[in-house]
Amino acid sequence: MSQFRFVFVVFCFTAVLVFTVNLRSANNRIFYELCACNAEESQLKQELGTKQLLLESLINPAAISQRVDESNTDD
Amino acid sequence: MKNVRITIFFCLLLIALFLALTGRCFYLQYFKTQQYLDACITQQQSFRNLQPQRGVILDCRGRVLAASNKVQTIFAEPRLIKDAKITSSELAPIMDIGAHIICQQLLESNNPGFLRIKTNADAGQCNAARKIHGIGIQSEWQRHYPMGRLASNLVGFTSRLDNKGLEGVELKYDKELSGSSARNIFLADAHRRPIRAKQQDGVLTNGVGIILTIDATIQQFTRDQLIKQYLEYEAESAVAIVAEPRSGAILAMVSLPDFDPADRSTDPNNFRCRAITDWYEPGSILKPVAAAIALDAGVVNRTEKIFCENGSYSGRYNGEGFGRIGEYRRGFGDLTVKEILINSSNIGMAKIGQRLGKDRLYDGLRLFGFGRKTGIELPGEIDGLLRPPNTWDGYSITRIPYGQEICVTGMQLIRAFCILANGGRLVRPFMVRAVVDNDGKITELKRPPPPVGYIIKPDVAEWVVREAMAGVVNEGTGKRAQLEKWQVFGKTGTANIARSDARGYSDQDYVASFICGAPAKDPAIVVLVSIRKPNRSLGKGYTGGVVSSPVAAKIIEKTLTYLGVKQD
Repeated sequence: MSQFRFVFVVFCFTAVLVFTVNLRSANNRIFYELCACNAEESQLKQELGTKQLLLESLINPAAISQRVDESNTDD
Repeated sequence: MKNVRITIFFCLLLIALFLALTGRCFYLQYFKTQQYLDACITQQQSFRNLQPQRGVILDCRGRVLAASNKVQTIFAEPRLIKDAKITSSELAPIMDIGAHIICQQLLESNNPGFLRIKTNADAGQCNAARKIHGIGIQSEWQRHYPMGRLASNLVGFTSRLDNKGLEGVELKYDKELSGSSARNIFLADAHRRPIRAKQQDGVLTNGVGIILTIDATIQQFTRDQLIKQYLEYEAESAVAIVAEPRSGAILAMVSLPDFDPADRSTDPNNFRCRAITDWYEPGSILKPVAAAIALDAGVVNRTEKIFCENGSYSGRYNGEGFGRIGEYRRGFGDLTVKEILINSSNIGMAKIGQRLGKDRLYDGLRLFGFGRKTGIELPGEIDGLLRPPNTWDGYSITRIPYGQEICVTGMQLIRAFCILANGGRLVRPFMVRAVVDNDGKITELKRPPPPVGYIIKPDVAEWVVREAMAGVVNEGTGKRAQLEKWQVFGKTGTANIARSDARGYSDQDYVASFICGAPAKDPAIVVLVSIRKPNRSLGKGYTGGVVSSPVAAKIIEKTLTYLGVKQD
């Protein structure tokens, strides 16, 4: 009986250890994924900002006027 | 006995050594605490600066005039690179730059810790470059001006290194646009690699956005028209302002020559906004203001005729004398105030000035805002020049009413004529409509409080605008500004420029100006066009009526159509 108890305690102890290690690595993995997602979001925002600025530079009144002038000259 | 002495000697020596050690410990702990504490913290900690995003600058319809975007910069740390040739040959295919160029940069770099190799690198280049030893990637904010030259004199620009405002709105609102930076503090290992975050020093706050009253479309009309005339007449510089007289909002302001914010290797004089930094004698364009002051003071009435001396009005040349005053082209006999303005008679205005007297003329001009800043939200505005009346002589009282012996800025002229167009009510020009936070919500309305008080009586202001200045466009020197759809009011001005090398005025150099507005019944806009030193030798003309009024008319026509103002 006492041997069984001993094995049970060792098993529980090992299981808790394994579970703790697993929790810790899961935490690290999720944190890493969060950081990666944040970085990706930041990069996408950056690309969006670049495209918005590019669009602004194409559709602003000065650019449109210039293109109209150029097309009139070509005609 | 000898052993006892040796023992005592060593004991004393030991005690002395311990005392010395205690003293040293006390010295280090008490006197040198801060020094070693600082050294310890410096050794244990490393920092990462977090730069806030600089706020956007928008026009009144939300179009971007200036904005910041993050770019990736590939840099090298030359002290970590053992063989510059190997590193540069690894980098060259990634960045599409010659290896010899990178190698030369690495070898000649003055900063052993940082060498910028490429700004605005794409993700692929960054991923490949960061695998090379001694090469790093850093993100930094870069300022963009999508409209280029269109509003460069107003918006200004920032420095490339630290993104600080250097000109225009960027400089005036630098503190608000900049936001506040923060610093992440890490515990670092012996190789300065971060182990874990310790604390954040400061709060990272992005800069707020600024919404201007400028409308990019009207700005484009204005610049387009002004630049054509500026080039055609080979002028030295030119200024145009479009304002809304009821509120004082500046809808467009163009200053030529201008500059491209992306390429600043131009003459720094082009950076300034000449409408507020350059003064000049306005010439005849000031006559409606002086006439309004005289009518308001009651020294002259609307129907009274003033004898204009048939073109030559002479006085003494010393003391309170006023020398000789002539007309621009031909002489006139008896003229009413309206006719004086329509024909732009200098003698008529000189006589009105004499009737007003120094103090009333000076006070009136001060009330119209001459001789002091308008308070527009741009750096570098000057006061202009309106000397106090105790320094005036006989010449001053006869010259100031037709725009000599007084120096004004374009913005001061716009304010004065906005007051006239606004029924004599006070107007304060402004260019910043609101401040918005990072979510786009308006946090602060910058519009000045509604004007209180009248500078002149409303009926006088209305008469000057609807009758006299409309007459200038219908029958006088401003005929080229007539429009089919709207009744335009205006006044031309052709001001001689004072010589810099001798007394008197140059007979070759002029400032051709035209100030106008429409519709005369209920003015929606006021426009000033001033072109400095149009080339007279071209034989195309040089007066305000010839050079500036057609530009102003086109600006008015396009702007009123764009704003949807009903036809008369």
